[in-house]
Amino acid sequence: MKKTITGYRRKEIIWSLIFVTPPVLGFLIFGLAPLLTSFGLSFMSWDMLTPSEVVGFDNFNYMFNDEKFYKSLYNTVFLLLGIPLGMIVSMILAIMMNRKLAGISIFRTIYYIPVISPIIAVSLLWQWMLNYDYGLVNEFIWKVFGTQGPNWLGDPNWVKPSFIIMGLWGGVGGTMVLYLAGLQGISSTYYEAAEVDGASRWHQFRHITLPLLSPIHFYVVVMGIIGTFQSFSQMYILAADGGPEYSGATIVYYIFQEAFKYFNMGYASSVAWVLGILIFIITLVQFRLSKRWVYQD
Amino acid sequence: MATWKSGKVWMAAVLCFIIVLTGCSSNNGGSKENSNSGKNNSANTAEQSPSNAGTAGEGADAGADAKSNIEFMGWGGDTEKAVFQTLIDAYMKKYPNKKVKYTVVPPGEYYQKLDTLIAAKKTPDVFYAGGANFNKLVSSGVLMNLQSLLESSSLVDQNNVWPAALDRYRYDGTASGQGDIYGLPKDVGPWAFAYNKDLFDKAGLPYPSAKAGEYTWDDMIADAKKLTVANERGKIDTFGVAGYSTESAVWANGGDWTDGKGNITIDTPEFAQAMQFVADLNLVHKVSPSPDDEKAQNGYARFVAGKIAMFPMGPWDQPGFWDLPFNWDIAAWPASPNTGKTATWLGSLGFVVSAKTEFPDDAFRLAAYLSLDQDSQRQNYELGQAVPNLMDMAKGEFLQMDKKPETRQVFLDIISDYGRPPIENTSKNTKWLDTFWQDASAVWTGKQSAADFVKAEQPKLQKLFDESNK
Repeated sequence: MKKTITGYRRKEIIWSLIFVTPPVLGFLIFGLAPLLTSFGLSFMSWDMLTPSEVVGFDNFNYMFNDEKFYKSLYNTVFLLLGIPLGMIVSMILAIMMNRKLAGISIFRTIYYIPVISPIIAVSLLWQWMLNYDYGLVNEFIWKVFGTQGPNWLGDPNWVKPSFIIMGLWGGVGGTMVLYLAGLQGISSTYYEAAEVDGASRWHQFRHITLPLLSPIHFYVVVMGIIGTFQSFSQMYILAADGGPEYSGATIVYYIFQEAFKYFNMGYASSVAWVLGILIFIITLVQFRLSKRWVYQD
Repeated sequence: MATWKSGKVWMAAVLCFIIVLTGCSSNNGGSKENSNSGKNNSANTAEQSPSNAGTAGEGADAGADAKSNIEFMGWGGDTEKAVFQTLIDAYMKKYPNKKVKYTVVPPGEYYQKLDTLIAAKKTPDVFYAGGANFNKLVSSGVLMNLQSLLESSSLVDQNNVWPAALDRYRYDGTASGQGDIYGLPKDVGPWAFAYNKDLFDKAGLPYPSAKAGEYTWDDMIADAKKLTVANERGKIDTFGVAGYSTESAVWANGGDWTDGKGNITIDTPEFAQAMQFVADLNLVHKVSPSPDDEKAQNGYARFVAGKIAMFPMGPWDQPGFWDLPFNWDIAAWPASPNTGKTATWLGSLGFVVSAKTEFPDDAFRLAAYLSLDQDSQRQNYELGQAVPNLMDMAKGEFLQMDKKPETRQVFLDIISDYGRPPIENTSKNTKWLDTFWQDASAVWTGKQSAADFVKAEQPKLQKLFDESNK
């Protein structure tokens, strides 16, 4: 049976299809096509100049035997330490900012400014702040503690902590806003009831605030891990050659070098896929585990 | 099912589709096509040629009036862009039928952009290439062999171009410097050894010799010790030397990274000794900034601030150094006391032509013009960018130029005598070399002796080298 939709309804369907076409095409051309291409490329060797060659699992074999791959993976995992630190700091900030004070929105804005600052400019600024001889940070350490501060970006042991500090500064504002929203979503009735029962401030925090913020914790952890695994810009600016003894290279930096410095497109694609799968698995595990600790209303 | 009748709606849908498509391929498709018509009608233009005969210059220059459309891509900052735009405008004035489209890319993104264009089959007709990338492009068949054009052309006087500069663009698939020519030099960049005259005067020391072989490593260390000054807090304020070239030391001592036959040869006593000499400038003699010091303020900034007595420089550093408030000059690189010889690297970048260009003759013509034209070469050296490619100009007016450095002859000595191609020119890829420099920090910081380091590093580099040069 042929059914014809006519009039106003038909027109609406057609227009909706027209509106939906550009983003769908955009996704197909700029999202799905490169994704599939890179999957194919990960089993090939291609330098962009000469025709590609199928090499089977050679790229993956090479990867699992390359010390730089492991080093950059380790560096990336090390940077994950910044996530719990960031959560603690931004939660404290959020609780401080959750009070009804005059001019509180100014403080909130100030803490949010790093989030909207361009990462390149911020990285260059930090490069000076962390300068071994002339940096503000070491100057401060000298004035307050009377001792020479570390060579932040020059010492292989301090490069990653430096990145974490920079990440904290740049990231807490955004997380703070999330926590702020979470805090304001907690009904005051819980606290009133707790007060009646004689719970201390700490107990209120521990048994009301913290659990009820768990959806936010979950979101921050998931996004934080994904973001950390993708971190690149800071390293590109501050450790252009991978940092001292390759201590500043992240996995995406490693991919970038292989792809756009040595033009091993096939190999870079295979590393990118391993990274993608890794993130996927970690996120999946987190979702599984989340059932045990995340309270959903 | 809906029946699709409305023409208006379809047009809108098609329009959307077109917008998306053009978004990804909005390149220069147009310019090439309309130039096709002019390609093979030299008979047509020949009739008009009498009116243009004067501009063509040399009588034998056939094809001076043929129409063409050339895409030229290079990199550089605002200065370089302005210089080349002027040159190209002059070229188009000289040959009114030839159009050139000039694109400048930031240096850091250049090879990324180039390789993407090549992969997309949109290779520019004329572009920059040098070092390991040049080798890779030749062996991938991207570049046009210019040998026959060069021989038959009246535009290039090969005898007046530095052999070292021209040889750089010979490649036979295994080693650079041999075989046919695939590019013309854009510039030659001798890595020279500059010194701060005022600091030498203050210390009462004679200047290092401009003649190769006279001033040795030992002389330099002795001088550097006298030139190194600590401030009242005990921290070294002025260093004798900084940024000493490892290449210079290794080559002068008779070592090298590769043997030219695909073997990594860093594990020789000569190599280790030279590397240790460079490391010891800081570790033992304390006359050079440590890696930590360098991180805080690099050698260049320190030299410019008058806090380094001896420091390497290339011709491109001249404009920056002309404004310095102290006197400076260049000398020969110190010689190894073991061999009595010295060496340094001679950088160069070239103009190359795409093998797929529609206009081989005119692409070559443009490359030759940019590479060897008198005016372009003059402008380039007057701006302090490079040493002229033309030997008569370099030995004539360039030497006479009344700007620092006084002893310009040193630049020419490096080009014609002891300058060598940079290490990366022996390879198609720099991965092994990057790894070497990264790992070498263990020697500079004193964690490992040079002898131990090169022994452990050799197999690793050999593996990477083989992978890159399959």
